[in-house]
Amino acid sequence: MKAAAFRYGSIIAIVAVLLLGVVGYHLRAAAEDDLPRVEFNADNISPRPIEDLTSKSVPRDYALAWQTLAQALSGNKTGLLDGYFTGLAKQDFAQRINSQIKSGLQTKYTDHGHKLEAIFYSPAGDVMELRDHVQLDMQILDGGKVIYDQPVTAQYMVIMTPGADRWLVRQIQAMNGEKP
Amino acid sequence: MRSLITTFLVFSTAISVMASEIHAPAQITAGKAITLQTSGSGDATFYLIGPAVASKSKVQAGGDIPIDSDRLEHAGRYVAILCASDGCTATNFFVSPAAANRLSFLVHPSRIPVGTSQGISAVAIVRDNFQNLVLKPEPVTFSIMAKDEKPVSAARNSENAFAWVRLTSARKEGPTKLGASIGHADEVRVVQQVAADACNLRIKASRDKHGFLIETDPVHDCSGNPVPDGTVVSFTESDSAGKTTVDVPIKRGVAKVDMPIDGRATITVASGVVTGNALEVSGGQ
Repeated sequence: MKAAAFRYGSIIAIVAVLLLGVVGYHLRAAAEDDLPRVEFNADNISPRPIEDLTSKSVPRDYALAWQTLAQALSGNKTGLLDGYFTGLAKQDFAQRINSQIKSGLQTKYTDHGHKLEAIFYSPAGDVMELRDHVQLDMQILDGGKVIYDQPVTAQYMVIMTPGADRWLVRQIQAMNGEKP
Repeated sequence: MRSLITTFLVFSTAISVMASEIHAPAQITAGKAITLQTSGSGDATFYLIGPAVASKSKVQAGGDIPIDSDRLEHAGRYVAILCASDGCTATNFFVSPAAANRLSFLVHPSRIPVGTSQGISAVAIVRDNFQNLVLKPEPVTFSIMAKDEKPVSAARNSENAFAWVRLTSARKEGPTKLGASIGHADEVRVVQQVAADACNLRIKASRDKHGFLIETDPVHDCSGNPVPDGTVVSFTESDSAGKTTVDVPIKRGVAKVDMPIDGRATITVASGVVTGNALEVSGGQ
């Protein structure tokens, strides 16, 4: 009797572990699928040359910033901005989300990718300026009803600064498409 | 059939005349009020979505929609949407930054040894009154006001809102003010310049009741600035029994230590990477 219980218990445990593995794999794959594609180019950066590690962490953290921004604007959750935004960027997006909540609005982005070019990296390594060419589908919803749905091609000037373990978006400003 | 076509044409024309539309001015500057023009008629809902705004209000289609200056302080892309009984129509517009009138000024480090070549980095970020980045080139004046010296200034044009300079610290220790200015903005930061590493480190020995008192001359850097108190000086005694090192902080400009020495010994001194002279002493009964 005991041996049978043990056998069945073991089978259930093995199946549970396998199921958890499959679910975990799919969740991870889904999270990676959601992460916007960022093509990063630091060929013209100056005056400080970019470090190898920084050239990997900046596009990764910028993609994560856009991923969390899309979730924050869609779900009207200011708390999601804490991870990858700071300073003016965090303040402005929080203000936008608070006014979305007040008006019953939501913004949904479908991100088609970013071409991110690093153009300035301060001599002390404490601030980086980047230009982002992005393609998005933008939907605005009022009470769940779509009132605006258009593809957007935009250019942003972005200021990022290093945090404890990641690069944070400090300011992001859309440009009119014209070169300054 | 003809009457059907005529009815259809009249109906379509009526719809096209009645359909709501919304138009924004071609040039909009941050912090300036604007008026959006609409066409159509009847009750409508107006939405304004911008970098830091998402508002909704009731309007009459066909009338003008004024937008206050405080809702347009953020440069960037805005969407204006008008939803009437015939559906929603939208227009996108850009708000450009206003004139440059503010600076963010980053200076690193806050403390630096004298005479460090290109050791100070000063970065100015050009902004308008609403913190928007001003991307067109603007002249930024950097100035250095060292203690007891004439101020020196240099102009740099900003590029994509950034202007920067790299500076060598002065020969003399003390606070140096670094300034950056544009329009009405004048930002100042202070960099404390401290003595560099010790230079010409020298020790002397005198007998005392416990052995020898080993004492440095007043410790200065190569520009003659006194090395700050608390800087560690290492005294090493080498004799037939081996080596003994004592670390002593500089106090009132000098570092000193009592060393009981039996027999012949060599005393050397170092501070950081700088070594000083060596003394041969002979102690004992």
